[in-house]
Amino acid sequence: MDLTLNFSRFIRRATPDKEGSAELTARRIYILPTRYGFLFGVLLCAMLAGSINSANNLGFMLTFLLVGLGIIAIIHTWHNLLGLQLQPKQARPIFAGQEASFPIQVENRRNSPRPGILLEVAGKIMSGIDLNSNESGELSLRLPATRRGIFKPGRFTISTSYPLGLLRAWSYVELDLCCLVYPEPGPNTQHLNPPSYTPSATGDRGVGTDDFAGLRQYRQGDSPRHIDWKAAAKGQGLKTKLFGGDRANQHWIDWDALPGFATEERLCRLCRAVLLACESQDEYGLRLPGIIINPARGEAHRHQCLAALACFESEPPK
Amino acid sequence: MSAVVHNSIPTRVLFVHLLLLSIAVAPHYQHLSFWLVGFYFALALLRLAAANQTEKLPGRFLLLLLSLCGFAIVALHQTRPVSKETAVGLLVVVLGLKLMELRHRRDVYITVLIGFFIIITQFLYDQSMLLASIMMLVTLGLTMMLVEVNFIQPLKSPWFSLRKALILIGQALPIMVALFLLFPRLSGPLWNLGLDGQSAITGFSDTISPGSVSHLSQSRAVAFRVDFSGQIPEPKKRYWRGLVLWDTDGYSWTTGKPVYGKPESYRVTGVPVQYEVTLEPNHQKWLFSLDLPAGNIPNTHQLPDFQIQTKKPITKRFHYKQLSYTDYSSSGLSNAKRQQGLNLPDNITPRMRELVSQWQNSAASNRDIVNAALRHFNQQAFIYTLSPPALGSNPADDFLFETRRGFCEHYATSFTLLMRIAGIPTRVVAGYQGGEINPHGEYLIVRQSDAHAWTEVWLEDQGWVRIDPTAAVAPERIERAIDLSNLAEGAPIQFQNLDPGLLKNLIRQLGFGVDFINARWHRWVLGYTNQRQTELLSLFGLDFLKRSTLGFAMVAVASLITLIITIGILRSSRKRIDPILKSYQHFCKKLAKQNLPRFHSEGPKDYAQRVIKQRPDLADSITQITRLYIGLRYGQVNSGETRKFFNRLIRQFSP
Repeated sequence: MDLTLNFSRFIRRATPDKEGSAELTARRIYILPTRYGFLFGVLLCAMLAGSINSANNLGFMLTFLLVGLGIIAIIHTWHNLLGLQLQPKQARPIFAGQEASFPIQVENRRNSPRPGILLEVAGKIMSGIDLNSNESGELSLRLPATRRGIFKPGRFTISTSYPLGLLRAWSYVELDLCCLVYPEPGPNTQHLNPPSYTPSATGDRGVGTDDFAGLRQYRQGDSPRHIDWKAAAKGQGLKTKLFGGDRANQHWIDWDALPGFATEERLCRLCRAVLLACESQDEYGLRLPGIIINPARGEAHRHQCLAALACFESEPPK
Repeated sequence: MSAVVHNSIPTRVLFVHLLLLSIAVAPHYQHLSFWLVGFYFALALLRLAAANQTEKLPGRFLLLLLSLCGFAIVALHQTRPVSKETAVGLLVVVLGLKLMELRHRRDVYITVLIGFFIIITQFLYDQSMLLASIMMLVTLGLTMMLVEVNFIQPLKSPWFSLRKALILIGQALPIMVALFLLFPRLSGPLWNLGLDGQSAITGFSDTISPGSVSHLSQSRAVAFRVDFSGQIPEPKKRYWRGLVLWDTDGYSWTTGKPVYGKPESYRVTGVPVQYEVTLEPNHQKWLFSLDLPAGNIPNTHQLPDFQIQTKKPITKRFHYKQLSYTDYSSSGLSNAKRQQGLNLPDNITPRMRELVSQWQNSAASNRDIVNAALRHFNQQAFIYTLSPPALGSNPADDFLFETRRGFCEHYATSFTLLMRIAGIPTRVVAGYQGGEINPHGEYLIVRQSDAHAWTEVWLEDQGWVRIDPTAAVAPERIERAIDLSNLAEGAPIQFQNLDPGLLKNLIRQLGFGVDFINARWHRWVLGYTNQRQTELLSLFGLDFLKRSTLGFAMVAVASLITLIITIGILRSSRKRIDPILKSYQHFCKKLAKQNLPRFHSEGPKDYAQRVIKQRPDLADSITQITRLYIGLRYGQVNSGETRKFFNRLIRQFSP
């Protein structure tokens, strides 16, 4: 591993351009025989020796045809990667301990197909795709995320051994791949979630989730869970149930509420608290040293809180 | 879309793969034991039956048992010394066993590679064009298999991989031709493994006994082919001299100990005939040439009696150039040779001597005695037959006075004995007489059925004179080939009709065509030796290339071909933009400069409408350009005039 790291400075690799996509150009493609390619070479030597010895012209012909096939395969294998376009796509955030999946768009801008394109990391095949002419597809790089923060998988390999499998062409690729890794949810800490009622200044507008407040006409976008199905079944049309309670269950998830824990352990517990708060549809805020996220609800808020935890005392997400 | 990489072998690929390997193995049934080939086919069937349920394949224990079984079969059929059959048998068994492990895609590589090796072993036994063509198709198929297993998703139809394999093989062919022509050839083997056993091949041996030539004569196998550089000599001059037989024990005739020395002196008249012979392997040392050979063939001995011997038996097709004078006379017979030409065996009977003395009494010269003997064969009830009755321990006497049915060797040997009794030095000559002209290639095919034996007598004033006693019995023999369709015992020989029926003629013509292709195949493919390589190089003035320099030349030419193919591949994949589209894009660019860019989703018609709304002053030209563009690019309009007009409109368009 050390060796590869030192070595990696000298090897050519495909790096992204301004738009973040990388092209496999001629000088970035390496090619060597595979195991079977070497075996094929040994076989050819044996066939040649046999043909010379018995002065068998058909033997010569077959041997030379296979030699030609081997040479042609070099060109075709190399050409199968040449000019392939790669572009990273947004990776979904995950929790530490889960497997991060980095989707990578591969684009074939050529009028001929490119079958057998493989994505490898450390010699392990991650995914593969057969691209038709002028077609794009998606390869994914899946790696387990062990630590919170921004996970950059670094270099990976795009390879192919098409058409004959006797040779393998590959290219090292470094794309700006990143995946946000939330801390691993730790055990629940009871005293972290004390509800604190802060009545809404504008009164109960019926956009909470707790107390039934009345019915109104269904509007597009209302949750099906809130439709009054009983009324609908009676033929009274679609009605949406309104709930009050936006004044209720607002609380702070506070770093200082967990003294005595190490930083990582604290973050894990805070993460669990955020998830629990989300589940109970509470309105919650997050207080970390130097970061205050005001109480709110919803997916974006959840992501904001978890991202803050993920990047705590490390570089912030872009 | 991205998929998990499959590792199982698609059923179709498996079936085709098994079929191809089986075709590659099948011809070995002729050379290997039934059990070896049977072992392979049993395992292939087993693999076929298991299809995609690889869990049904034999486990480790059963596989070990099968392996032991296979190797036991090889060991049981092993010969001593180790023959190539053992090696080939081992390969076939290993391929069968590997089929049992054919579970994943990567296993296909191993079986394909063994398959290639099996193909080359076929060529050790048979180099016919038919086999070569079949094996070429198998090679293409195996290449196709490699292409198939390199797809991530199994292909639904075989056409794509077939096309790819054809392209690959097609591009490999020029490289193959370059390597084949330029690879430095050795004249002998690198080492001798002693694996080539002698197989029964028809041809002359160095002994002639009653029935040996007639036996040979029943084979239609080609003995040799001849390309003449000038006119082909007429049939009666086509005596292909091979062996000269001096010694007899009263039953069979032998060449005697070869005496190397100066050739007999001779005088020639006329223009020599020049020709090139392609001799089929016969495991003998004799070369055949027209009477009287005068050329010098490298690596051969010319004996004083004009026999030409190679240093080693001919085990491969052999080419040689020869020069012959059909009009000649020799002179000067040494006493030793005269004595050898008069030696008689012990079993000369009184009635033979009596017959000769009758001729001597009425003859003024040796020539008259010869003529009297020929008259005897002609006038008495002698029958020329391919299936003569069996003769006893004194074949000459039996033949002359009892059976009177015989083939050329009977006539030649008994005639020789009679002449020797009369004191005329005589020797038996064996070779071929005649040959068929192939009208397609203007070359002569000499078959085993043209095998012949005749004599040469020494006449003081003329030297050695060729006398063919068979011609006295059956003059047609010299002009026409024997019809082999009637071979009943003792039946007189039928000669091929000069004007056969339409169908027969058609079949003959077809046969000539096939032989022509075969001859070219032999000459240019199988017969491409270091000698021919030198000839080919000298055609281009490149004969200074030897061994290592030739090797460099080979690498250079192959590299050049590879470079050309690479450029071709790179060019073909470059995207060509339709010139019409290019012009239209130019037009769009002009409008874009006027802040009227075309949106990606916008078709040309919509774009034109939108632009016209904003710039009604351009309405005419935009409408015209758009209409022409649609017509040229998507419609039927396709004339050079219109295209030029379209381009001019765009050039002149200035918003």
